[in-house]
Amino acid sequence: MREERNTGAAANIALLIKRAVEGDADSFGRLYDMHVDRVYRHVYYRVGNVPDAEDLTQQVFLKAWQAMDKYKKTSSPFLAWLMRIGHNLVIDFYRSKKDKAYLDYEVAAPDLDSSPERVAEAKLDQQQLRRAILQLHGDQQQVILMRFIEDFSYTEIASSLGKSEGTIRVILHRALAKLRHIMEEETT
Amino acid sequence: MGKKEDILALCIEDIRSGRSSLAECLERYPSMRQHLEPLLRIALSIQEPPDIKPSNAFRVRARVHLVEQIHATRNVKQTWYPGWLKIAALVVAIVLAASALGTGTAYAAQDSLPGDTLYHVKLGVEQVRRVLNTGDTARVKLELAFAGVRLEEMEALANEAPDRIGTVTSRYERNIAMAIERTEYVGNGGASASVSEEAALTMSRHLCVLDGIEDNVPETAREAIRHAKEIAIGGQIEALRILTRENPLRAAEINLDTLQNRLYRAKVNAERNEAAEVEIALRQFEELRRFGEEISQTAKGLGYNTAAVDELNAHATSAQLEVLGDIYGKVSEETKGAVEKALEVSVEGHGQAVEGLRERGALGDIPEEPALPEEVPEKVKERILKPEPKGSGPGRH
Repeated sequence: MREERNTGAAANIALLIKRAVEGDADSFGRLYDMHVDRVYRHVYYRVGNVPDAEDLTQQVFLKAWQAMDKYKKTSSPFLAWLMRIGHNLVIDFYRSKKDKAYLDYEVAAPDLDSSPERVAEAKLDQQQLRRAILQLHGDQQQVILMRFIEDFSYTEIASSLGKSEGTIRVILHRALAKLRHIMEEETT
Repeated sequence: MGKKEDILALCIEDIRSGRSSLAECLERYPSMRQHLEPLLRIALSIQEPPDIKPSNAFRVRARVHLVEQIHATRNVKQTWYPGWLKIAALVVAIVLAASALGTGTAYAAQDSLPGDTLYHVKLGVEQVRRVLNTGDTARVKLELAFAGVRLEEMEALANEAPDRIGTVTSRYERNIAMAIERTEYVGNGGASASVSEEAALTMSRHLCVLDGIEDNVPETAREAIRHAKEIAIGGQIEALRILTRENPLRAAEINLDTLQNRLYRAKVNAERNEAAEVEIALRQFEELRRFGEEISQTAKGLGYNTAAVDELNAHATSAQLEVLGDIYGKVSEETKGAVEKALEVSVEGHGQAVEGLRERGALGDIPEEPALPEEVPEKVKERILKPEPKGSGPGRH
């Protein structure tokens, strides 16, 4: 996870978390400032529209504030913990939706790495891919999003989901195989 | 490493980090090639979507809402605290303030900047002043004043230590969020209108000051200044949302002044051939123009006669189009698309204002279709005036 790899930033975040757990609203506000963009992007990718992404992002931070005393008992990075809250909220959101229109929302096309080889390697249709990712269930979807969209390490994903790194690699393998299957079905 | 799951994960990491190419990875595990290749192709195709960020208006609004919720929970939790404890805390704060102000330290700290030894004293004195100013109106004024101090700090750091501007921008954001939060508490009526108007006008002034700072900072500091400008715009929108409840016409006037100012900013940048800056200013214009429509809709929902607001918006279109025409004539082909988008937004806003006026039979001499500037080619004009019907896309980003 890019942000928290920086030791100084991580120490600062740790201090803010400690204060927020003690009930310091200002520290929690600063944590909000630091993480709101990442949480929003994560949620937006999954719901595909601005009003729902805004609403759910707001709920993530409210839930996080209400559960701050529980955070100190987990060992996952703060952002991963927020993502986990977001993941659960998005699942509830899906359950409340009868239609699947969110699958068809267009999310901005990727800005591909300029390396020609990378471009050639990564040429699958992003909309099709997003639709397929959103059809994955539970941990499979979460692992794919955390690794590829949010750039968390396997260690961070493992601590966030309460599983071993080996299990995360197994989930990743199954998720990619499932994505392949979904995409092949869509094209045939 | 033998398990297929481990090999797949290793290959993904090697390719993503640039240590290997896809072909090299597949050559390393020839017996697994058929299995690995399609999975790797999918994995490498998943790219994080760029430029998906919440709007600054949302950032500020959500922060304000969050702080409100926190205070609401806290009020419930703290009702059992005895009154004497609060009074004691106030007395301690007063003693601290008096002693700090009595020594020359607080005075000397006034001009300190992030990184200076005395800067924490400066922030500490601000905190004491917060404790001493408990009224909502006083707190709004105080936070706006502190936000003004942050701008002075940005200006001072611009050339001395541009790498420290980012921390000041974060503090500026908090000052603005706290000012908005307290503006919400002021309540309804004349006091609320006056405080929210003052907050909106202050942020409009901040925007002009930040333009000036942006022109004089090294490239490394520009991003932080741009961020501060987005915060000022987001804060102004929130202040105007509050003002709209009491005085939508005044809210619309202030919004129009700011969006016109963004257009002039785009024009100045076009004259300097700064394409990226032109596009940023045009995006800000679009955000504010759309917000103008929201003012009208909110006012209508509250039962106000919105004819004056719609008339103001409709009359403003010709001035906007004129400046956009100037910009169009000055920018390169690559940037013309951004100007066309701004033209579309302006025309769309005009259409909505006209519709509102027509409903009330108050259209008067306002043209139903605005005259687009002559710098714009005919086929572009046609497209702007008769846009394709919109789909259900994800919204603006």
